[in-house]
Amino acid sequence: MSLVAVTALWLLPLLIAWLWRPRQALAPCAWALLIVFGALGAWALWFSLYAHYGEPAGFAFWKPTILYWTLAAMMIAIPLLRWGYPAKIIIGAYFAFSNREWRWINLSLAAMYTIMGGANLWMASESSYKDWVGFKYAIMMNLLIIVLFRLNFVWLPLLIGDVFVQLYRRASAAYRYLTTLF
Amino acid sequence: MSSVERKPEHVVQLVWAGGRSEQVTLTATGKSGGAGEIFSIDEKPGFVAKIYHATTSPDHLAKYRHKIQWMVDYQPALPQVPAEYQHVVQLAWPEALILRQSRFVGFAMRKIAFDHTLELDYLLNRRQAANEGFDADYGKLVTVSFNLASLINCLHQKRIAIVDLKPMNVKVYKASLYVSILDCDGFHIATDEFSSDAPQVTPEYLAPEFQEKSVAHPEAQDRFALATIIFRLLNYGIHPFSGVAADRSNYPPELAGRIEQGLYPYGKAAHTRVRKVPASVHEAFPDGLRELFDRAFASSGYSRPSAQEWIDALSVYANKQSGQMSPCDKGHLRFSGRPCPTCLRDALIQGAEVRRRSFLARLQAAPGRTLKYVQKTLRQTHSSPFQASLAQARLNALQLAPPAPISTRNAIALEILWISGLLIVYWWTR
Repeated sequence: MSLVAVTALWLLPLLIAWLWRPRQALAPCAWALLIVFGALGAWALWFSLYAHYGEPAGFAFWKPTILYWTLAAMMIAIPLLRWGYPAKIIIGAYFAFSNREWRWINLSLAAMYTIMGGANLWMASESSYKDWVGFKYAIMMNLLIIVLFRLNFVWLPLLIGDVFVQLYRRASAAYRYLTTLF
Repeated sequence: MSSVERKPEHVVQLVWAGGRSEQVTLTATGKSGGAGEIFSIDEKPGFVAKIYHATTSPDHLAKYRHKIQWMVDYQPALPQVPAEYQHVVQLAWPEALILRQSRFVGFAMRKIAFDHTLELDYLLNRRQAANEGFDADYGKLVTVSFNLASLINCLHQKRIAIVDLKPMNVKVYKASLYVSILDCDGFHIATDEFSSDAPQVTPEYLAPEFQEKSVAHPEAQDRFALATIIFRLLNYGIHPFSGVAADRSNYPPELAGRIEQGLYPYGKAAHTRVRKVPASVHEAFPDGLRELFDRAFASSGYSRPSAQEWIDALSVYANKQSGQMSPCDKGHLRFSGRPCPTCLRDALIQGAEVRRRSFLARLQAAPGRTLKYVQKTLRQTHSSPFQASLAQARLNALQLAPPAPISTRNAIALEILWISGLLIVYWWTR
């Protein structure tokens, strides 16, 4: 696949997201997360798609730690700046928790990310390469759980409750319109 | 064009009865069995050669040679066939030894015209027989059974037994209905001058007393196998020991186990442990045949009907002039004075067919019904209160998460961002 096609492949969904974005004002913590993830994403895109020389030597060992500690730092710093709780954005505001509960969730995530970033460095330096890769894949299973959670509580209700119903209503309207023609 | 170059191992010597020998060339046919491979003989188009596999041990080869030599010298007298059927080969009996560089390697036998014959196995299924160009009716099946019994009787009179008698080893001439038995080199021979055992058996046709044992009485074994084949021929391929267990416990899954335990459900007296297969038409057989079947499957050893008894019983039905086979109202041949087995079978199958079609119709209607149900659920127009409450419950189950206070497009935009974030996390942690 050519570079142009690959660029179109990631640019198109982002364009759709921009066009269909909510028009109400964003919480400061959402902006902060958006900026940080934009930077991390740009880095990822640059080194995986466009930089021919690849990422710097030895950087692979640091990658998970940089991500975890960046997230942990945001989780700690943003509430201190009274910009809200990033956990709300990451987990999603689909669960009705009080602010106190969100604060604890936020702190728990921060602690978890801090530990995971440290664990990655420790595994990278103390264990064999094979064990370190195994550790990374084990951590990645968490992503799968998060995706399944999202699928169940967000995507399926969105698809079945909104998208399919709207498509069905439109198809019904089109059918009624066509029957009036003949 | 130059002649096809022959491999030296394909040039062999035929040694006929009396010692006359001649050199011939073999051509592979691609047909191979457990013991050897079949070759055509270029100079003798009416014959084929069976060459034992190169892996056959010298001991076995010596035994084969001894047996084949005897068979070549002693051809059994076979049932007479009319002059117009002289081409019929009733036995693939060895007629010449084959030597390669003076070493015994196999034997020559008469060639059975496979174009004009079909395996007896095909007659067990009417549709298969029809596909092979054979329109099976009860007159033909009885005649085939009679001819098979006649052939076996000739062998038994010479104290020769087939032992591994099964439909796959029997060919039927489509036009004349004569039968031909293959694999004669595996026969059991017990004459005064020579004896040879036959270790090959097939459990589905093996008498109960020989299951998992050596065949001590080969003729008794043949009697059992012959009765089994005749029963299957007349009963649409249903094996006399296949049935429906009255009580599932201790019912062997294999036919061999059922034979061993004598679980024969088609007797005149019902079996307590096993019931007949519903599609069986054995009740349309004449009493004389049913008694022979009962003796064959409910007794043991030499009390089973001999091939001669089968000849006596079947000859009247195989003879068109006897009037013992007559057409039913629909024109099928049946045993006179008995219900028509073909009509009986059709009625049994039709009932099953009606049930099958009804099931298929319900299955085909299912997608349409499902679509209507979904439409009613979405429109909330269920007329049945039960269906309405069921649909409501399912919708509620799908709406576990509270509805987002944003439009669908906004929600999709946020989810695109969320997935992008997930991909970024994946890249950083992989």
